[in-house]
Amino acid sequence: MPARVDIEFTLNGVRTRASVPPTMSTLAMLREVLGLTGTKYACGEGECGACTIVVDGRSVNSCLMFAAECDGREVVTIEGIAATECGERLVRAFTEAGAVQCGFCTPGLVVQASALLAANPQPSEAEIRRAIEGNLCRCTGYRKIIDAIASARTGSDPVLAGGSEGR
Amino acid sequence: MSAVPDNRGLTPSSLIGGRIPKMDAPEKASGRARYIHDLQLPGMLHAKILRSAHVHARILAIDTAQAKKLPGVHAVITAADVPWQRPIGVAKDHLPLKTDRVRSLRDEIAAVAADTPEIAEAALRLIRVEYEPLPVLTDASEALAPGAPLIHADRPGNIAMTFDYSHGDVAQGEAESDVVVEDVFRLHYVTHCCMGVSGVIAEFEPNGNLRLYSNTQVPFLHKREFAELLGIDPGRIRIIQPPIGGAFGSKLDIYPFEPIAIFLARITRRPVKLVFTREEEFLASPTRQPVLFRLRSGCKKDGTLTFRIAETLHDNGAYTSWGATTPFVMMQTVSSLYRVPHCKYRTRAVYTNNPYAGSFRGYGNLQATFAVEAHMDRLADAIGMDPLEFRLKNAQEPGETTPQGMHFRTCGLKDCLKSAAERSGYVEKRRANRARQADANPVKRGIGMASMLHVGGGAKIYPSDGCGTILKLDDFAHVTLITGASEIGQGSETVLAELVCEELGLPISAVTVVNNDTDITPWDVGVHASRTTFIAGNSAIGAARKAKAKILAAAAAKTGHAPEDLDLRGGCVVLKASGERVIELGKLIRSLHFQDKAELVMTTHYYEPPSKHQDREFKGDVSAAYAWATQVCEVEVDTRTGIVRLLKVTGAHDVGRVLNRLGIEGQIEGGVVMGQGYALTENLIVEGGVIRNPCFRDYKLVTAPEIPEIDVEFIETMDGEGPQGAKGVGEAPAICIAAAVANAIENATGVRITALPFTPENVYRALAGAAQPPRWRLAD
Amino acid sequence: MSAVERFAAPRSLQEALEILRAGEVTVLAGGTDLMPQSHSGKLPLARVLMSVRRVPELQGITETEGTIRIGAATTIRELRASGLVRGRLPILWQACDRFASDQVRNAATIGGNVCNASPAGDTLVPLLVLEAQAVLVSKPDGAIEERRLPLAEFFLAPGRTRRQPEELLRAIEVPTPPANFVSEFYKFGTRPALDISAISIGFGAVREGGVLRQVRIALGAVAPTPMRASRAEAALEGAAPDEQALAAAAAAALEETRPISDVRASDWYRRELVRNMLPRVVRHACES
Repeated sequence: MPARVDIEFTLNGVRTRASVPPTMSTLAMLREVLGLTGTKYACGEGECGACTIVVDGRSVNSCLMFAAECDGREVVTIEGIAATECGERLVRAFTEAGAVQCGFCTPGLVVQASALLAANPQPSEAEIRRAIEGNLCRCTGYRKIIDAIASARTGSDPVLAGGSEGR
Repeated sequence: MSAVPDNRGLTPSSLIGGRIPKMDAPEKASGRARYIHDLQLPGMLHAKILRSAHVHARILAIDTAQAKKLPGVHAVITAADVPWQRPIGVAKDHLPLKTDRVRSLRDEIAAVAADTPEIAEAALRLIRVEYEPLPVLTDASEALAPGAPLIHADRPGNIAMTFDYSHGDVAQGEAESDVVVEDVFRLHYVTHCCMGVSGVIAEFEPNGNLRLYSNTQVPFLHKREFAELLGIDPGRIRIIQPPIGGAFGSKLDIYPFEPIAIFLARITRRPVKLVFTREEEFLASPTRQPVLFRLRSGCKKDGTLTFRIAETLHDNGAYTSWGATTPFVMMQTVSSLYRVPHCKYRTRAVYTNNPYAGSFRGYGNLQATFAVEAHMDRLADAIGMDPLEFRLKNAQEPGETTPQGMHFRTCGLKDCLKSAAERSGYVEKRRANRARQADANPVKRGIGMASMLHVGGGAKIYPSDGCGTILKLDDFAHVTLITGASEIGQGSETVLAELVCEELGLPISAVTVVNNDTDITPWDVGVHASRTTFIAGNSAIGAARKAKAKILAAAAAKTGHAPEDLDLRGGCVVLKASGERVIELGKLIRSLHFQDKAELVMTTHYYEPPSKHQDREFKGDVSAAYAWATQVCEVEVDTRTGIVRLLKVTGAHDVGRVLNRLGIEGQIEGGVVMGQGYALTENLIVEGGVIRNPCFRDYKLVTAPEIPEIDVEFIETMDGEGPQGAKGVGEAPAICIAAAVANAIENATGVRITALPFTPENVYRALAGAAQPPRWRLAD
Repeated sequence: MSAVERFAAPRSLQEALEILRAGEVTVLAGGTDLMPQSHSGKLPLARVLMSVRRVPELQGITETEGTIRIGAATTIRELRASGLVRGRLPILWQACDRFASDQVRNAATIGGNVCNASPAGDTLVPLLVLEAQAVLVSKPDGAIEERRLPLAEFFLAPGRTRRQPEELLRAIEVPTPPANFVSEFYKFGTRPALDISAISIGFGAVREGGVLRQVRIALGAVAPTPMRASRAEAALEGAAPDEQALAAAAAAALEETRPISDVRASDWYRRELVRNMLPRVVRHACES
């Protein structure tokens, strides 16, 4: 009988229980056990950032985190981020800046960007570049991703800021 | 007449050249898009493949008994279980499951379908294979040597493909030359690194029809190939393409994992999903073609090119995929990027036990441009002419037909050269950098340029280079655009919607694009050759124009205006001259629909470009339009470490016309950075047939902090055949970078490096004089 | 498949040490190295997988009486954000700034980096320069025992250290450098951080007048373990950092290194980098 670990944590604001094998990654748990497929697998060793999630307010690679380590913690995935004001702003900014092509890396980048903006609401271009150095993108050449994050800085784009206040 | 109350005239407005966000971006950015990896069908099994443990060996025995006994395993198959399998690939030299011999480390020996990927993986470890190792052949020139072991018994001399092209008389050209240069260039292995790894789901419906969830770029060609492979009617195969996590040419061919998933689905009678790990993606997906390239070129003192002789040796790997056919494109650059009166080109693609190469954005043109543009600099320097002036002197112009038969109805090469040079300050910087080569500062600056020619109006390779469109307007004037053109992230759905909206006077929000299901979409040859905007765009415009004619005729009949006096703007039929609203479009369509002789506004259009198949000598006007570009790269070279930083890329691209500025900028920027990776960071290390760095830790893609400043100008030559004047652009931006960086490094250091990649150690070795330049080891 | 039978998440040092004492434990800190190594089969996991991130005794950065103590479970992010580290141990801060990526820095711990004992481990070179000590704890028979080991003696081979199976790395202790201490960390690479260094160099010394005292040079990825280059240190000890002394130090360092050739760099190139960059690192430290 393979060992399991019973864990309880907050997932996108919802108390969640899961029973996971001790060596399962958080990425596998999210995708295969809990059906949240917005978090992507693209390397499985922390080199690409496609599986970025936020745990207790910090972004991490979910492929490098044992699922059992989620116990008692606050986990937010792209599905949770997208349902926040900041997430909506970022999704819009990525769309309008042309930062999405094949889109496979994008959820991880949106999560990483949201973590950056939460910690540093007005990052410089250099800070944005550094913040996403762990996120690989093969399509866009990053320019428009950097622009998108810059335009999602609070108050930096009157259209975006106005738009989100208006609802 | 039923004019709408608001009588303000609607002035014509155009979407062309605007910044139109990609239609599927919100869904993708919010994590809602479901890629193959994200799909879960009821009762679905997971498959894994056992690959060879040897680079080259005979298979003596395979024992799957233990694997079959593992709980959760539904099927373990080897070639013996599918005696009816047929060879796949461009040369049909490749059985999905290998029978008695493995020829590369990718080779598929057995496969498992199980409840979970983990169980399938565990079952693989229980399969016992007995091998008898065979001599390994991993050097392309050795493969050509007399007496070399044969990789395929029925391919004498290990020759997979040959290409011979010539025009003029190169001996005469050489005799007329004042200067002749010759180099051997070595182009390395790189791979696509799509962020979404390869995957497929195969499912047989109860009626025996096959449904494939596939990442293919060429669904209709694959329908036929899978039908041949399975011996079934192509009409019984349906290919559905969920959003694709990047392709870049990698998904143009069938690879063994796809038939294997189908075999397992048939045997288990269950849906079977097969998804690679990243390591497997590195080990078993295609590469860009590695090439040894000998180039000899000459010119006169006045700067006129006299001749070019190119000989290339392609390492085909163990099997033939599209990589072997890249010489089609390479010879165009050799023969026709500049005016070359005498030209001879020869390729041999040879089998080895290395990984096999596929097609990759640029399709051989990165390699050819690297060699040709190095020689443009070398020849210019040899006669003391500025390389810009030298290029301008030999550049193609509109109206020319090259000796290879390509006809340039539009050609912005000279404008590209001038624009990129002026905006970057090329001539002055090149001179100043050269003067500083010998000073004490260990960090040098360099500037280099390269230009390119690539097909921009499709490429007539298959019997048809066409694309079909079905367009319907519903009762509320919402448009459904059903196109054969696949979407792989390049933004085709958005540009096609834009072209339709331009015709019908509608906003982008009024269109839904359907493009991912062969049971619904009309035929298209596939996403390749930078053709989709051009071919599918013309097809979409054709369907929209037919719909418009029908709408205006109906409006005319209803309102008494002449159809030619009417137009579509802002969701209304209007008077063309004044913009006065005549009838709201939805209302008109409803009135057509809800009557005794109901009429639907639903049209189809098929567009076939007016290009020609090449003849047996590779001559002919293969594309309906040609794209041009010049890119100038500025670099910093740290001579203490060999680190080359790409600081700035100044590009000028003849794109015909900018349709969606946001989309085209994305293509350029992404292509530039992909070219940067090819030049500076990416290197798939293959030693003795073994890939040594199958991970992102050691195969280095460019990251955000490393990207250069990019300044692009679009040269709008308004191609007469192009949709709204546009030409293809998808591959162009990646093509010049390595060539321009090579020229820039030479400008910075005085050292000409002819082997890629320019990784720090390679550059350092070259600067230290410790590098072995590539050699041509063939006896002529 | 997995041989792990139990996932343990102790909430005190006592509890953690008791689990360790029972044996067959793999210690999990940030997981950023352990997860890929265990998945690739490079590092088989023991019967018990024990996470130490909930152990309060392993947290925190404190300074007392000339010693800066860094809890083993301190993340790289916390080190990078620490004013104390940035102000007093800038060489360690530099390494943390150039460590992997934001996501990895948020999870990876200094204890994990030290115990992973990679010859290219980013924090190891500055810790050697800072003459850090490993504080190891165990609970052999009822009471917690603590021992200190200079980090220079801690590493045995790639992935191997002097930590005993029943021991836990509790903290890293660093003597607070004197006010006139200069230092510099250099990591070779084309990216700011996300790179396994082909080589790394750490330098530290006390400036007295025009000369260098207490010179410490550490090198990463040029030997099976991160190493102190004592002959190079001797070449600079008491010397002014001029061309001649720097060349002598570089030459001495080359004699001490034992680099290998791998996919990241050849042994020849690694030596060339040490030769070219060591003088620059020293000069840069002395200029700042």
